[in-house]
Amino acid sequence: MKAVLEVNNLKKELGSFSLEQLTFSLKEGCITGFIGVNGSGKTTTIKTILGLYPKDNGSIKFFGKEMKKNECEIKNRIGVVLDEGYFYEEMTLKEMKSIIAPAYTNWDESVFLNYINRFNLKLDQKIATLSKGMRMKFAITLALSHHADLLIMDEPTSGLDPLIRNELMEILLDFMEEEGKSVFFSTHITSDLEKVADMLILIDNGKIVFNESKDELLERHALIKGDNRLINEHSTKLFLRLRQTPFGFEGITNKVDQVREQMKDIIIERPTIEDVMLAYVKEG
Amino acid sequence: MLFHLVKKDLILAKKYLLVMLIFAIVAPIFINSKLGLSNGSFISFLITVLFVEYILFNMISLQEDKYRGSALLCITPHTRNGVIKAKYVFILVIFIACFLLYNLAAAIGASYGLTRLSIYSVGVALLIISIFFGLLIPVQTKFGYEKTKYIFFITVFLTPFILPTIIEWYKSIDININFNLPIPQSIKVWVPFVIAVLIASISMVISIRIFSKKNL
Amino acid sequence: MKIIIKNGSERPLYQQIKDQIKGAILRQELKEGEKLPSIRSLANDLHVSVLTTKRVYEELEKEGFIITIVGKGSFVASENMEMLSEFKRHLVEKKLSEVWQMARTLGINKEELYSMMDIIFEEDDE
Repeated sequence: MKAVLEVNNLKKELGSFSLEQLTFSLKEGCITGFIGVNGSGKTTTIKTILGLYPKDNGSIKFFGKEMKKNECEIKNRIGVVLDEGYFYEEMTLKEMKSIIAPAYTNWDESVFLNYINRFNLKLDQKIATLSKGMRMKFAITLALSHHADLLIMDEPTSGLDPLIRNELMEILLDFMEEEGKSVFFSTHITSDLEKVADMLILIDNGKIVFNESKDELLERHALIKGDNRLINEHSTKLFLRLRQTPFGFEGITNKVDQVREQMKDIIIERPTIEDVMLAYVKEG
Repeated sequence: MLFHLVKKDLILAKKYLLVMLIFAIVAPIFINSKLGLSNGSFISFLITVLFVEYILFNMISLQEDKYRGSALLCITPHTRNGVIKAKYVFILVIFIACFLLYNLAAAIGASYGLTRLSIYSVGVALLIISIFFGLLIPVQTKFGYEKTKYIFFITVFLTPFILPTIIEWYKSIDININFNLPIPQSIKVWVPFVIAVLIASISMVISIRIFSKKNL
Repeated sequence: MKIIIKNGSERPLYQQIKDQIKGAILRQELKEGEKLPSIRSLANDLHVSVLTTKRVYEELEKEGFIITIVGKGSFVASENMEMLSEFKRHLVEKKLSEVWQMARTLGINKEELYSMMDIIFEEDDE
């Protein structure tokens, strides 16, 4: 699978926070979830790769090309949904579109109107009067109406109710039906990713922790439950994260085979993405 | 594409646009009659243009600052350079509109002593606008709307008080050019335009540089 | 075709999916030339990664069960007689070895087992 985005040794300082030597790539045809706790650097990363924050160092290539020299071509091929929308709230949906649409060489008005109808949006409504969910839908509409190959979204689901989040996931899967499309989206609500993500990238404190296929990642790890008697100095080392209560222990391991061998009478379960994420995130 | 970015500014200023356009007709007549100068047409026009441009530009900057829409624009094929260029084009568009409306005012207000402007006077007015916004735009791009709004707010509202100085300066520049440039009158009248464009261009390059390093 | 994934299983996801598709082909629930779902829609339906379904199809293709035509999709390969008969033999062998294990633990020897088989054959012939 070709890479649609390659980031190499990306560096960006932003006040006291910094992204350090960020290296990762996105595969074509995949939905890649970008996970991490609040403040881990997700938004900074996305804004830096899009050029909203000028990078300090490193290289960013979309579709194998540098952004600087191919800005228009690249931007024509990506659709973006930012966390805060950045809309001119006083404008109506129609006015906002009339400024965005002409920028794209391949804007498709019929696709646009299709989404507007599907989402029950009203074109002469002011953006300021839209609910959070409606605003996100409008942002998606703008991002998907120019036949983008790569959709980049920053926390599109935060603050939305489960029903709308589910609807968004359906839209993503629809979008992916066409060959050659890719999605990159950040979220701290990892349950959204359980169903749709192909790849997962975890960022913590400005550093990439892993970049791996979701299924492989979840197979490589296990949620182990059992009696506290099994926990000793030696077995503790098998876990990335261990929680003990008077009733028993619960831990995440990446040494599934060793645990299976050495510990008897345990329950082995498939972990959730959140379980794995929290196992790698340093607290505080 | 630049056209649509200017259109964006016009939409953002929409609420004030109509009022300001009417103002651009009424104000020169009013100011001229209040000033009571023998040749107050130029000053009336200048004050009107400065006021209209400032109010509208301020209105737009306020909303840009509030909604940070340039981030949204910069993820589309609209570029950072375009966003800045559009600001300068917007100032020019409003200037032209004010000039056209002034001519309308001059036709209506002829009885009040309002006369049509010479090409040279229009050039000088554009030059002053160019200097004012040529400073305002880079400074605002650098320090943001919040920090800079008072400086320029004060400047604009001091203008009526420093008018006499401006008039003096206007007259002296007239004489200077007469003395220093032994060129035909037909070319001389365009000199302020050339300087205005030059200043605006330099200012634009500086603003673009500043804006290219901004975190949006 | 029915595919059921067991999440707590020791067997990796791709293996589970692959075996079940293979089974469906060998049982001829999936007929020769029949189109398989795209890797994306299979992944969506099973809630697994497209990388997993891609791996499944790649391995099935390598083993000769399916063929993939770029831009058209994946199809069940034309029936491979050798593969099919081997699979059938394998199924029976498995059952027979279970029977032999059982016989041994119950103290029934080889000759007794042969004669039991003969009786079954005779009954069947009638």
